[in-house]
Amino acid sequence: MPRTLRLVPFLTVLALGRAHAAPRPETGFGLPRDVSLDGWRIDWLIDVTLIAVTVLFVIMVVWMLIACLRHGRRHAAHYDPGDSRRAIGAKALVAGAIFLGVDGNLFVNSTRDLKEVFWNFERVEADPRAVRVEVNAHQWAWDFRYPGPDGRFNTADDIVTLNELRVPIDTPVLLQLGATDVIHSFYVPNLRVKTDCVPGSLSRVWFQAKETGEFEIGCAQHCGTHHYKMRGLLRVVAQSEWEAWHREASAIASRAFDPSDERAQWGWPWRKP
Amino acid sequence: MGLALEKTMTPEGTSEPDELQPIHPVPASLWRRSVFSTDHKVIAKQFLWAGLLFLLFGGALAMLMRWQWAYPGERVPAWLGGGLFGGSGGVITPSTYTTLFTNHGLIMIFWAITPMLIGAFGNFCIPLMIGARDMAFPTLNMLSFWTFALSGVLVIASFFVPLGPAAAGWTTYPPLATNVGTPGWGQTVMVLAIFVSGVATTMGAINYVTTVIRLRAPGMTWSRMPLTVWGLWLTSVLNVLFVPILAAAGLLLLFDRLFGTQFFIAGAAARAGGGDPVLFQHLFWIFGHPEVYILILPVWGVVGDLVSFFARKPAAWYRGTVGAMVAVTTLSAVVYGHHMYVAGISPLLGLGFEALTLIISVPAIVLFLNWLHTIWRGSIRLEVPMLFALGTVFVFGLGGLTGLFLGTVLTDVYLHDTMWVVGHFHLTMAASVFLGSFAAIYFWFPKMFGRTMHGGLGRAHFWTSVTLITLVFCGQLVAGYAGQQRRLYDPFQYTFIARLRGLNLWTSYAAFALGAAQILFVVNWFRSLAAGRRAEANPWQVGTLEWSLPSPPAPHNFDTIPTVVRGPHELSSPDVLARFGRDWVGQAEAWPSAPAALAVGSQVERAEET
Repeated sequence: MPRTLRLVPFLTVLALGRAHAAPRPETGFGLPRDVSLDGWRIDWLIDVTLIAVTVLFVIMVVWMLIACLRHGRRHAAHYDPGDSRRAIGAKALVAGAIFLGVDGNLFVNSTRDLKEVFWNFERVEADPRAVRVEVNAHQWAWDFRYPGPDGRFNTADDIVTLNELRVPIDTPVLLQLGATDVIHSFYVPNLRVKTDCVPGSLSRVWFQAKETGEFEIGCAQHCGTHHYKMRGLLRVVAQSEWEAWHREASAIASRAFDPSDERAQWGWPWRKP
Repeated sequence: MGLALEKTMTPEGTSEPDELQPIHPVPASLWRRSVFSTDHKVIAKQFLWAGLLFLLFGGALAMLMRWQWAYPGERVPAWLGGGLFGGSGGVITPSTYTTLFTNHGLIMIFWAITPMLIGAFGNFCIPLMIGARDMAFPTLNMLSFWTFALSGVLVIASFFVPLGPAAAGWTTYPPLATNVGTPGWGQTVMVLAIFVSGVATTMGAINYVTTVIRLRAPGMTWSRMPLTVWGLWLTSVLNVLFVPILAAAGLLLLFDRLFGTQFFIAGAAARAGGGDPVLFQHLFWIFGHPEVYILILPVWGVVGDLVSFFARKPAAWYRGTVGAMVAVTTLSAVVYGHHMYVAGISPLLGLGFEALTLIISVPAIVLFLNWLHTIWRGSIRLEVPMLFALGTVFVFGLGGLTGLFLGTVLTDVYLHDTMWVVGHFHLTMAASVFLGSFAAIYFWFPKMFGRTMHGGLGRAHFWTSVTLITLVFCGQLVAGYAGQQRRLYDPFQYTFIARLRGLNLWTSYAAFALGAAQILFVVNWFRSLAAGRRAEANPWQVGTLEWSLPSPPAPHNFDTIPTVVRGPHELSSPDVLARFGRDWVGQAEAWPSAPAALAVGSQVERAEET
């Protein structure tokens, strides 16, 4: 076997390893792959509305084309102030139908899904499995803070990570978010999650991932020169793997804890809703 | 209701209005005639020139941004790179890039669109179309332009101060827009420039509002005003109400930057409790949302008139169109919260703003239906202004429909701050306003300058512009749908955006071509100014008052203030055809030798009923 060929298995392993360590690229022009439990609600509403407005737009364009082609210079204009009872009634009917059909559908679904799912923090707070993480955004990175086994924030066993959020699969994850300097926006396209991080106040968001793997966290709010580089990684892992990591990382954190390093104690007591 | 007025006025239109607006002698000095002029038509031209120049400047900034998205971090080609970015070897750096999009947005909104639509056409059209000799406050009008000019000088100066021009985005959100995020004089001077331009806009708006209320010619009732005047008037009402709020927010921001106050600073830089960054967002968008309607209302008005003029039909359901525009104007004041769905506002507020935002669909649909009804069974003349008007309807359709996704909280959560937003507001505010402004330029150019623009060049300008502008902003919509955030120096840092490299590249090509296509307009503009065919008084054969005057009109507009007897869109009426032998009639044109049995009064009544 030639020397170069012997390298193949080694390189393959290396390549697989690298692929595993980086988010899988998306393909095509569609929405990024949805890996969240509830993202389909947003996708469905976007897509169904997209179809509806495309139909409306095509009708409008066809109408304009026909008018321009058939009712051109040679066509005698039909004198009509267009305010007959019939014309107004027809317009009211069309406007009402579009409003109820398209806008109504948006409003009903948006309201229901927000109430029952995306803004339903009570249910997630009450869930004993929920993983809580504090997020501090600053120019130009993300800090994540997990409570240790004591379940309290800003204590010696807290795990703090930089630009890497590790969460277990099929588990609700609750985030409270703040910022040090300017406004940032926490954005995970694959989870359909976005919320601003505002200095001086806390915002919150929750999600539940349904697939393991690496996904990107982006900043969606212009936050200065290197806004484009404020990129983090979301690592969704199996429940057992997450527990093992959490145990180990917390133990290391406790050993490395330096009470005199006040700047590292940026956490806050978990804010009850 | 116009009838009562008419009965008190003699057709000769003597005394009252003419005495209230006496004809002033034309100033002898060139200085007072052409530079510090109080003639609304001269001020309109000044605003138009200024707006077009800033449009060119803002457009050039956009081209550089598109270069960066097509070829991130690569040297800007030819002499441009070395000339503009010599310090970085011809490459746009991340900090330069932030100044590009910040200044592009601000310049386009406050120094290109505002002067072109409101400054130029507000000034030119309002007095001429309502039958006045000038604005209500001609000196204030002059001051408005020169205050605007001062703000323009400040903008240009902001490019030559230490630490570079403004870089906090056009929305200038603090704390980024305070010294915490953007130290340096550029941002300070820019905020000051916005304040000064706000002063200019407010002066102009007070003038327009008063002029429309006070100086309408006898018989020019509210329901006989051209839709263009309605749009400009409603815009001015919004300007009077909301620009001062922007000015207040800007002033507080200036205090934070210059005097160490902390209205909008929180977080690590805050002392003694600090302030509230979100307060700025409330102030900004209380202005900012009406602002998008401020920019589009004049365009709606122009489109409403032009589709009627060039379809040779009355504007369908005139009262419905006016009502829809008034409804949108009112609603625009109570929907601003939809810009803050992900800024942590309370669920109740979010849903409230969502409901109010979606209600705007109703008047918007009515506007569209009326335009579509107007052109139906007409006798459409696809002249250049009509092409641009129809193009405006096309791109505004795209822009309006893509806004639904952003007005709804659930779908906005995903699309917020992506290129979808950029595509959407460019279709509504940039593409529509761009095409609408050019419709107005091609339409009123003969009246403004007494010369005719070249039709072939105009048509070429239209077809290239409408195609390319649609491609550019639809490319942005697609990128946003796929998740690409806005304002990224190098979007392809993100693995999930890497697939959009080709899309961004082709969108940039379309943008470069769009920029290049404007040469057609520039050539046409200068050629027509210098050597365009002399325009007749009424080249488009329509009845609004400005076309009853010679092109260009005399400095005092009307020798005798006309008495208006009918609405602005009396086109193809069988009565008119029978009496005049043509399909149009002037708003102030008296009926020719009527059959003896019919008195003038009853004719007016008949015209009103139809």
